[in-house]
Amino acid sequence: MDEVQQAIKQQVEAHPVILFMKGTPQFPQCGFSMKASQALAGCEVEFAYVNVLEDERIRQGVKDYGNWPTIPQLYVNGELVGGSDIILQMYESGELETLVKDAVGKQQA
Amino acid sequence: MTAERVRMIERRLRDALPVDHAEVVDESHLHAGHPGARDGRGHFRILVVSQAFSGCSPLQRHRLVYDAMGEAMNTDIHALSIRALAPEEYATPKA
Repeated sequence: MDEVQQAIKQQVEAHPVILFMKGTPQFPQCGFSMKASQALAGCEVEFAYVNVLEDERIRQGVKDYGNWPTIPQLYVNGELVGGSDIILQMYESGELETLVKDAVGKQQA
Repeated sequence: MTAERVRMIERRLRDALPVDHAEVVDESHLHAGHPGARDGRGHFRILVVSQAFSGCSPLQRHRLVYDAMGEAMNTDIHALSIRALAPEEYATPKA
């Protein structure tokens, strides 16, 4: 595993809920990243994020890491949950809130 | 360009999956001028109905669609909105 993959792995394992996105939750740079971060914010848990626009190696590297060709990508407990369609679908059904609250709760327990 | 890409996406879906129904809409115009649109790749919305999705999680369904797109994800497609349904989920609910 190269340096970039190692760095992504560390991030994903260090944070129970982490979103790789374009821009930041305050200043998203893409509509899909905006919707994804808003859905997470709506779950009222703290989540980590990585702005992939700050590092081209991460932008490409996270696509390889998750074997997923697009951004945003949400990881919970080290596992890829999906991109914006899946995040929104799970937010609307309430599954997302349950998933992220469980993940954050486990870490605090 | 639009029509060609839409046909290409539909062909790739049909080559990779047993497709009951597919709709592909080019939404690139909605994103013109945004940073992701600069390299010329497009934004598309896909509805695809296939028995391949039965019993699959949303993540697995999206992977099947991305796999079907193959190299086009790097050359023609910037973003895909995907609705991937099993035939029984697509069936019109009876009134």
